[in-house]
This record gives sequence, structure tokens and C-alpha cells, in this order.
Amino acid sequence: MSAAPRAAFDHPHLLGLQSLHRLDIETILDLADHYASLARENRRGPAVLKNKTVINLFFENSTRTMSSFEIAAKRLGADVINMPVDSSSVKKGETLIDTAMTLNAMKPDVIVIRHSASGGVKLLSRKVDCAVINAGDGTHEHPTQGLLDTLTIRRNKGRIEGLTVTICGDVVHSRVARSTTYALHQLGARVRLCGPRTLLPADARDWGAETVTADFEKGLKNADVVMMLRLQLERMNGAYLPSRREYFHFYGLTRARLAMAAPDAIVMHPGPMNRGVEIESAIADGPTSVITEQVEMGVAIRMAVLDLLAGSNTDTTASTGNGAGAKP
Amino acid sequence: MSASALTITNARLLDPASGRDEIGAIHLEDGRIAAIGADAAPKPTSSRETFDAGGLCLAPGLVDLRVKTGEPGEEHRETVATASAAALAGGVTTIVLMPDTQPVIDDVALVKYLHAPNPDPHATPVTTRIEVAGALTLGLEGEAMAEIGLMREAGAALFTNGDEPVTNPTVLKRTMAYAASQDVLVACRPDTRQLRGSGVMNAGAFAARLGLSGIPSEAEWIGAARDLMLAEVTGCRLLLDQVSTPRTLDLLADAKARGLPVYTTVAAHHLYFNEGDVGDYLTYCKVNPPFRTESDRLALIEAVKSGLIDAVVSAHDPQPPETKRLPIAEASFGAAGLETSLAALLSLVHAGHLSLLEALRPLTSGPADLIGKPQGRLAPGAPADLVLFDPAAPWKCTREALRSRSTNSPFDGRLLQGRVERTLLAGHTAFQRPTN
Repeated sequence: MSAAPRAAFDHPHLLGLQSLHRLDIETILDLADHYASLARENRRGPAVLKNKTVINLFFENSTRTMSSFEIAAKRLGADVINMPVDSSSVKKGETLIDTAMTLNAMKPDVIVIRHSASGGVKLLSRKVDCAVINAGDGTHEHPTQGLLDTLTIRRNKGRIEGLTVTICGDVVHSRVARSTTYALHQLGARVRLCGPRTLLPADARDWGAETVTADFEKGLKNADVVMMLRLQLERMNGAYLPSRREYFHFYGLTRARLAMAAPDAIVMHPGPMNRGVEIESAIADGPTSVITEQVEMGVAIRMAVLDLLAGSNTDTTASTGNGAGAKP
Repeated sequence: MSASALTITNARLLDPASGRDEIGAIHLEDGRIAAIGADAAPKPTSSRETFDAGGLCLAPGLVDLRVKTGEPGEEHRETVATASAAALAGGVTTIVLMPDTQPVIDDVALVKYLHAPNPDPHATPVTTRIEVAGALTLGLEGEAMAEIGLMREAGAALFTNGDEPVTNPTVLKRTMAYAASQDVLVACRPDTRQLRGSGVMNAGAFAARLGLSGIPSEAEWIGAARDLMLAEVTGCRLLLDQVSTPRTLDLLADAKARGLPVYTTVAAHHLYFNEGDVGDYLTYCKVNPPFRTESDRLALIEAVKSGLIDAVVSAHDPQPPETKRLPIAEASFGAAGLETSLAALLSLVHAGHLSLLEALRPLTSGPADLIGKPQGRLAPGAPADLVLFDPAAPWKCTREALRSRSTNSPFDGRLLQGRVERTLLAGHTAFQRPTN
């Protein structure tokens, strides 16, 4: 069996990608690549989280992300407790910090947190003694999503450096757009952010985006990767947008528009999709779509992050296999 | 049957866009201007007709950015056909229809229904070129953005919230930001609804004496200041729709001096009347914004002369007797204006305020440029939309003689000087004054 590619990862938590160094990101990607290969071979690695407790503390509903973390932790041998908001004490009036202190007293090894307020996860991380993984905080960051997007691109294109990645949609409210842009920029991709002016942030260039434009077709030109963001349909109520059909008309990914991208462009979406609003079904299900691979990479990325933050390496079988995806 | 080629000789050619003011000939072919000037020669064409203009003034047909009809929904007030007849009699060859109809023009299908930029000049009756102003917000309610991009593609010339400002600044800001990325022109009434209140006429001593509640000037300035600032923040092209006070002009001049793409219109009747004309509770003089003071009126004229005001509109708003024959506080706002815009501006020429070209610019090339249309100028290739008028001819405006279905004109009974003799649309005579 091949060894997990290991490098130092000197962070107590994973709260966001903005502060991560390129080498940190590559460390996670390399290890995730290894876990992805194992999964494809239907094999399990060593149970590096055996006897460890992972709490999934989700203040916002997310079946997909919580399941992904749960599967990742279980594949590493951890004991997993899911705490969706419905069954938590928050509804009884307990403050966020009280919840953190209570959970901390139970001595978990990792708390995976999703919260609707930007900065909410950071606040909790200061109050607990274990590792905290941000599973999405408000409109701030969603680091594991940014990493899984980056890994999916790297596996399909063989590199990140020099690629043109177009991200289109509700950028201003998207924690995915932020995290993905930070990661891709760190690794040398050229990121273009597209969307209606009302949904583009004022400071997007500071995120590391090369281009910020309301003209999707200009943004699509020769793109290697096209990533469509989910449009929250309640945006129609806040005067951000006129209607679904107008949004689709100017910002929906159609076959005609996709033809403006590079011939071998791949299509991504963090899900869940609004078919017919931001993406045509034929593309979502088509040969250029890597949307299901993103989900697959999600588990691998979360295994890698859990491993790096809380895994014990003592039972790793040493051998001289080639570390999958390890780069010189 | 009229020929497809026409030459008009011995005309005083007036073209504000180029500054041309000379006696000469103009040659029209296939609905467009082929050649123009003192020494231009027509191509020999067997079917060419010629007529002698007798030295009368020939200018581009008027482009009116603010016209209401009652179509669809209130055809008893006015239809597009009756408004067209009035427009052509007033020398107006392009009208921009306001979206405040029933239903509101906030939908692609309604824009397409009304939009007729190239009407058949042989039709009976002939209609003007019809451009459409799309609603800025759904139902003009000021809450949700309308389908600005799709309506633009369907041909909408500009976007407006009609007579009412968008009260919520967040809605307006987002809508302007979106409009900026669609590169459309947004027209806003500079107004603050709560300050306007239930005002009837200009606030001041005159209103107080009449016992009428006033519409204060600051209702306009504050609205204008807000709209200009939001245009600056968003990069939106903004048209302040019907200004009436000099202080608003100061705000606009400041914004223009800083290079912002902001423009303004004034209604022709605001250049002619002042608050005193409300006189004996004349409901035909009840308009919004209201007629202001005489010094305000003179400041507006000065701004037309200096070019600060980009376009003069008729603000044509047909109101039938049942909404006007009421105590003034209960009567509706609005004045019919399509047939009197040119005469109102010519009165300023006769009074020595403006030159002919200065008076015509905001009626022709000024508004055409704002909506990016090729008409409004005497230039080869431009549509052959022309107005032939006698600047000196005296006439009395009487409501019975107006062609509009509603004849609520504040000019009713006024003696005017300068009237349209003939209007050409796409090279064909669409209106000719009957000889008495």
C-alpha cells in the first residue's frame, strides 16, 4: 500500500483559505489525492482517527456537507456525532459560546462547524481546546469546498498554474467563491469573477481575481474551467435581480455560451443546482461536467483535513510507494 | 402616390447638431436625407418631386422623451393614434411612451406591443416613430427590479419609474447598478414624496394666498441630490426627468463638471408659465413639478441656452374633463403638450431669450442623442423626419382645435407665434396644415 504523502501542517484549525500558504494547500491536496485513489480502489487507509470524536455542529441545514464530513470521519475510524441545529440547545436560548463551552467540556477531538454568521466559526474556535473545521460561515469562507474545487480541477487538468477559471453567479454572497478564488489564486490560476453588478463585490480584485466583469460572455472566453454558483432564489425579492428568466438569459450557462470557453473546458457547480436558472440541464449532465467528481473529492478533502488536524500517524504503515499526486 | 425621392428648395435649414442655419435645399431618398445644403445637387431621378418651401424654417422633426397616452388601459384619455395625430401637428416625429399605463409596461411583451420605431409612412393615419420607456420597477411600485435587460433587448429606449420616485434608496441603488451593467439610461423624477405631500402648486406666498397646499422646491433638490449621488456610486447613466428649480440645476452642473453621465430634461410648459398662471384656480395649470416662480423660469431658460438642459419634453399627459373639472386640490396633475412644445420654445426666441438653434437643440438632437437614435439632425443618412414651420405666424391656441383626445392644455386661449406648416416622416408628408 502506498504511503500517505505527509508534510507538516502547522495549523490548529482550518477556518479559511485566505490565510493559508501555497504549501499548506498543496499538502492538503496531495493527501486528499491519496485518499481519493484509495477510495477508487475500494480500499481503506489506516484508521488514523480511531478512538477520536468528531462533532458535526451545523447551525445551518446542509445534508450534503454534513454527510460528506460524516463519511470522511468514519472512513478514518472516528466516532461521529451529528448535531444539526434542530436538536441543539440553540433553540432553547443558549448562546453560541455557551454551546461551544458545553461541547468543549465533552472533550471532542474535532468540531466541524457551519454557522449562518460570518465569523461565527472563528468565534467558537477561540473558546474550545480541540481542532475546528469551518464548514461554511455566513458569506465568508467555506474552505473545504474551495479545496475540493481545486483538487477536482487539478485532477482533470493536471495543474492549476496558468489555468483560466471563470466563476459566475452570486459572488457577493458566496463563501464558495471566496474560498475557491483564494485557493486558485495561491496556486497560480487566473480567476475571472462574473455576475450581475448587484452580485459582484466591490473588492473582488483584492481576492486575487484577475478580472471582475458583469459580461459573462467576455468572462467565458477561452476559460479552462467554468464554475457556476448557486443562485439563491430569494435574491429576486431584494431588488438584486429582475427575474429568473432574465438571469438565465444573461448569466445561465448554455451550450452556446460554453462553446466560447476553451474546447476542453470543464464545468463545475458546488450544488445544489437550480437547473434552468444558472445552468442548462444538458450541460449539468453532459460530458464536460465534473460536478459529481466534486462531490467525490469532497470526501477525500475532508479526510485529508481531518487527518492533518487530528490524525495520529503512529499506525501509518511505512512503505516506499509513490505518493499519489505529490509534486516535486 | 408620393415619390420615393423629394427635394425641398428655398428652405431655411436649421440643424442644431451641426450649427447649420442657411437658406438651401434638402434632398430626400428612400426615407432618408440624401444631401443637404445651399449647393447640394440631387441625383437625377425620374420620380423626384420638388416643392418650394417659400423660405420657411425646416428643422429635424422633434423627438419627445416624455409622452403619456392612455394606451393600453385608459384609451378614453388618449390612444397612440390620437397622440400621434397631435404630435405630427406639433412637428413631433418621435415620441417616447411612458410606462405608467394599465397594465404597466414592465414586461417584454408590452414593450414589443407598443414599440414601432419605423412606422409605415403610407399608413392611414400615419403614426410617429414610437419608442418605449420601460418600467424601472415591477408595476412601478418601487420594490422589485423589472426585467431591464430583456426589455432593453426588446427595444426599450430608457427606463423610468414614471411620475413617482423610487422611495427606497437600496432598491434604487441596486437597480441603478444593474442598469449600469446593462448600459441603459435611467430616468428619475427628482422628488421626495413625503415632502411633496398633498401639495397642489408651488409652495410660497401665492399658494398661501390661494389657500392651497404647496409643493416645496426642496422636495425636488433632495430627490435630485440623492439620485445624482446614487448615479455616482453605481456608474448609472441618469436622466433627471423634468427639473423645475435652479438649485437642482446647480446640483446637476456640479455632477456634470465631475464627468458623471447625468442629464436632464425640462418640460416646455415650465419655460413658458410661472406659478402666477395658476391664477384663478386653473386646473389645466396643475402639473407636477408645479410651475415655479418667475425667477425660476428664467433660470431654466438660461440653462436651456447654456446647454445644461439636454432635452425639452412636452410631458404630454392627457387628462379628460372628469379628472380636471374639479376643485384644483382634487383635480389630477398633468397637461397636454404635444402640439405646443415648438410654439412654447419659439416664444422664447421671439422674446429674445434664445436663438432658433438654441431653441431647437433640446427638441431634436439633444433628446435623440440621449436615447442613441440617428434622427433629430439634418445629416446625410439620417431619417428624413422634418418639420417645416413659419416662426412668425400668429395663432390662438384653443382646446377645441387640439387633436389630442384630451385637451387639457394650459395654453388654451393663449396667443402664440410660430406654427407648424408641414411635418414629414421618413420623407413623406405626415401632416400638412389645412389652408383656411
